Amino acid sequence: MKKHVLLAAAILVATRLPAFAGNPDRDAYFGETHVHTSWSLDAFAMGNMLTNPGDAYKYFQGESIKHPLGFDVKIDTPLDWAGVTDHSEYAGVVNMANEPGSAVSKLAVAQPLILKARTKEEMERVALYAINTLASGAPIKELVSPEIAGTVWKRNVELADAANQPGKFTTFCAYEWTSMPSNMNLHRNIFFKDCAKVPAMPFSALDSKHPVDLWNWMDGQRKAGNDLLAISHNANLSDGRMFPTEVDTKGRPIDAVYAESRTRNEPLTEIKQLKGTSETHPLLSPNDEFASFEIMSVLLGNPPGRLPQIVGSYARQALKDGIALEDSRGFNPYKFGFGAASDSHNTAVPYRQDNFFGGHTFTDGTIEGRMAGTVVGGMFDARTESTSGLTGVWAEENTRAALFEAIARKETFGVSGPHIKVRMFGGWEFDASTLTDRDWVQTGYAKGVPMGGDLPPAKGKAPTFLVWAVKDPTSGNLDRIQIVKGWTKSGQSFEKVFDVVWAGDRKPDKRTGVVPPIGSTVDIEKGTYTNTTGAVELKTAWTDPEFDASQSAFYYARVLEIPTPRWTTIQAAKLGIAPPDVVAATLQERAWGSPIWYTPSAGARKAAKPATTVADLKKQGAQALGDEQLKALVVEKSVWFQNNVTGSKYMIIYGALGKGSAASSLTPADPGYVTQRFPAGQGQFQLRYVGRDVAMQSLTGDAAEAAYLEEPRTYSIAGGRIFTDLAGTPIEIAVFKLGDKYLAARSNEFGYANYEIVPAVGQLAPMAAASR
Amino acid sequence: MSPAIRSWLREPLLHFLVVGLLLFLGYHVRHGDEGRGEPSRRIEITSDDLRQIQIAWLAQGRPALTAAELSGLVDDRVHEEILYREALGLGLDKDDTIVRRRLAQKLEFLFEDVAALREPTTEDLEAWYDEHPEHFRQPPRATFRHLYFSPDRRGPHARDDASAVFGKASGKPIDWPRDEARSDAFMFPDYYGDDPFDSVAKLFGPGFADSLFRLTPGAWSAPIESGYGWHLVFIDSMTPARVPPLEEVESAVKSEWIEDQRSRMRDAAYAAMKARYEIVAPKDMGAAMAALPPLPPGMPQGAGIVPQ
Repeated sequence: MKKHVLLAAAILVATRLPAFAGNPDRDAYFGETHVHTSWSLDAFAMGNMLTNPGDAYKYFQGESIKHPLGFDVKIDTPLDWAGVTDHSEYAGVVNMANEPGSAVSKLAVAQPLILKARTKEEMERVALYAINTLASGAPIKELVSPEIAGTVWKRNVELADAANQPGKFTTFCAYEWTSMPSNMNLHRNIFFKDCAKVPAMPFSALDSKHPVDLWNWMDGQRKAGNDLLAISHNANLSDGRMFPTEVDTKGRPIDAVYAESRTRNEPLTEIKQLKGTSETHPLLSPNDEFASFEIMSVLLGNPPGRLPQIVGSYARQALKDGIALEDSRGFNPYKFGFGAASDSHNTAVPYRQDNFFGGHTFTDGTIEGRMAGTVVGGMFDARTESTSGLTGVWAEENTRAALFEAIARKETFGVSGPHIKVRMFGGWEFDASTLTDRDWVQTGYAKGVPMGGDLPPAKGKAPTFLVWAVKDPTSGNLDRIQIVKGWTKSGQSFEKVFDVVWAGDRKPDKRTGVVPPIGSTVDIEKGTYTNTTGAVELKTAWTDPEFDASQSAFYYARVLEIPTPRWTTIQAAKLGIAPPDVVAATLQERAWGSPIWYTPSAGARKAAKPATTVADLKKQGAQALGDEQLKALVVEKSVWFQNNVTGSKYMIIYGALGKGSAASSLTPADPGYVTQRFPAGQGQFQLRYVGRDVAMQSLTGDAAEAAYLEEPRTYSIAGGRIFTDLAGTPIEIAVFKLGDKYLAARSNEFGYANYEIVPAVGQLAPMAAASR
Repeated sequence: MSPAIRSWLREPLLHFLVVGLLLFLGYHVRHGDEGRGEPSRRIEITSDDLRQIQIAWLAQGRPALTAAELSGLVDDRVHEEILYREALGLGLDKDDTIVRRRLAQKLEFLFEDVAALREPTTEDLEAWYDEHPEHFRQPPRATFRHLYFSPDRRGPHARDDASAVFGKASGKPIDWPRDEARSDAFMFPDYYGDDPFDSVAKLFGPGFADSLFRLTPGAWSAPIESGYGWHLVFIDSMTPARVPPLEEVESAVKSEWIEDQRSRMRDAAYAAMKARYEIVAPKDMGAAMAALPPLPPGMPQGAGIVPQ
């Protein structure tokens, strides 16, 4: 008997049992995961007083509703699903239960207020009686009991259920947890799988502003049978706190418990919305020529005198830090997929450049107000505001359960507004011929993993990715599909963007593989474009040419449309003014597919040369250099370093430290004549001899450009460290002496000492031996 | 909605508690200023307060409170109460836009809640449906197959190629093979059964859907353009738009009716309240505005765009 049961179980596990009816190859469904109606206190306070979640659901299905300013707004391409995420703070207290026959119901004073019948007339009588007696009498204390009725949340759930039409349009019960300690955006949108299984009251930021507390509450909800998940957003506004690598908001170290809790509860991040893009930043990805898309780096509420931290505020660097943590400490808190949404406070949402009406009621609700550069909420120039994105989900059917499961497994993608569809599978057995088969999707699922998944154990020399995209039929053609790869070694992390398939007959650069830009058809003066370039559909099978089986990696697809006019260009044309100088005149709408991860097996890991950690050095008796020793080592010296991970060698010139008020009178002929004026202990350094083709480790900025321009940056020495910065975040370098070797560790490299001082280099690009 | 919730919604106690809160608020609106000034320095945590804290906690689906947790929450409540009273004592609630708008919003919710208690009769729903049939109109549907001509493969010749094939399409059946028609593989299905207008528009674009639903069934059409290129379409059958009988859409009609009741109650209550106020405001707004003192310098004077 036991054998039969085991066999049956094995068969069940082996076959791919469909969890849902519908299309087993799955279809793409587009939805809005972040919108506010008049029920959000801030939206109401801002002037959105006309529309509620019911109106939002009508709008998303293509009906016209009112903008808070009173004019009609409508989208041409309806959505497939949505969750209205009004703020949970101020949702009110719940009426839990009423005991029949309670003492209160027997009070004489209460009698006129009891409906004699459930008719319209009786209701009006009671209501008017209540209103008319407002003038008289003290409050009837007995009537004001702790159990009071009426919550925004309960009504939200009712409206979601009323608008839910499985198979046609799905609504979710959802809300926003609006944590904003010290103006740092840590917001999450919370989605429930089943509106019948929700708590009577959501967990709000008034209960706690710490994400770990939110996740704890979510775990409790799941145990109680209320399945739910969280989607973070606006990492770009989090002042570096959305993706920390050292401590959480409570000051506790990021560890395996944090990572597991985050992974369990937060499958996606919203990578683009009205207030900018959180994929990456040009200062973090200097070699990505498409990295400057819709950048907004501010702090909510615009607190005076504070610079938003860029490091820790972007998804691509977080994915890299995640695999570096996995590699060095055994846990990865940043294994999320992508979605995109709006954060509109208008109930209605603008998704397209040619239908942009703002997201903040009257502040950006008129064309004149927007184009006059109104400073929205004191935070940002209205002209820099973006259109809304959307979250795409590959699911068997358009129902709550199927869409929720798809989000939970991260088979999702974000789009910048248009309904671009993108799909990717990773595996070891694909090749170019796989895509010629009409059933390639089934092969993708059978022999590989979709977006959001982990590659099965290595079965070949390198993974191959099937990637496919189709344009939105009402938007621009496609320019290209790229695959962004991130990998890690010894605490360093690297990225590279590959052009894998593109429209037209452009030839990639022979050495770099970079495909030249597609020509623009945009008429900037008129704010128009034509689909005479670009492709309707792109697809390819791409094998990683630089795969190293010992290194953790992730891959995600990015699809770009041809250039189209930005809404500021279109509206400037309408007003007859020049397009503004604070944003680009054109942009390339895009889609971002959720990543696929590769994790080396224990055996593959062993193949890598072990790296040196600071802990290793200390064990071996290395001496940490103090301030005076550091000064003697580097100040006013040109020091050659080797990055032991990549093998590349480069030089840093450390200039003289300033003398501040202790500056003495030197003559112009003295080298220190100018630099002595720097504050005491502060100097300038300069990087030299870094080429364009070198893969640079994270948080080193545009090293090749800095080397070429001989661009100085600030450094100082204090507390036994050399201090520099990247994009406003301090980077500390510790130096150790072991025997006659000097080894250095950067503070962002997870405890590894990856740098070594080496003798001066005579030839920077020695010809390799015949094997090249 | 679960039966439990439904039953307590019908509970008379519910709506009269709601109305009771109206009285309470109303009293404060009229008499709130009396006794304002020095805040009372005595904070008493009663068993009612403990109950309220407990309910708010349990409502989030958390496990039962421990004494230590309750103690912490009481500390939070005291902290909040002290700040609240001091703030009221300083009059911080006056002229605070958020406080004003939140209270206004809360009052509107209370009215809406009272309205929602009434179940509609069949007559109510029929009357509503007669007045608003368009809200429930179902779009036309079509069963069709199409042949695709891809600009990716044919460049600017896609349209001409489609026309050429149309020239040969006379008399050809709906399942005319792609190889014979010399059209291209399409990335989505070729055949659609009983597909509604909205679904066709979402996949192909609204322009294509408009053109398609104007075609006559039974033959291959002249080329129609979509966002993906050019298509010949053979409509097998088409169902026109219809307004379904009430029985088919009753729950949707009921939802709309309830929403309408809510906003009517809101408006009626507001009208009744307003009738009791005397409102004094300038009649000539233009003159009143002109009579205002000039705006201080450095303040935005009003967005000005001068069209070129």
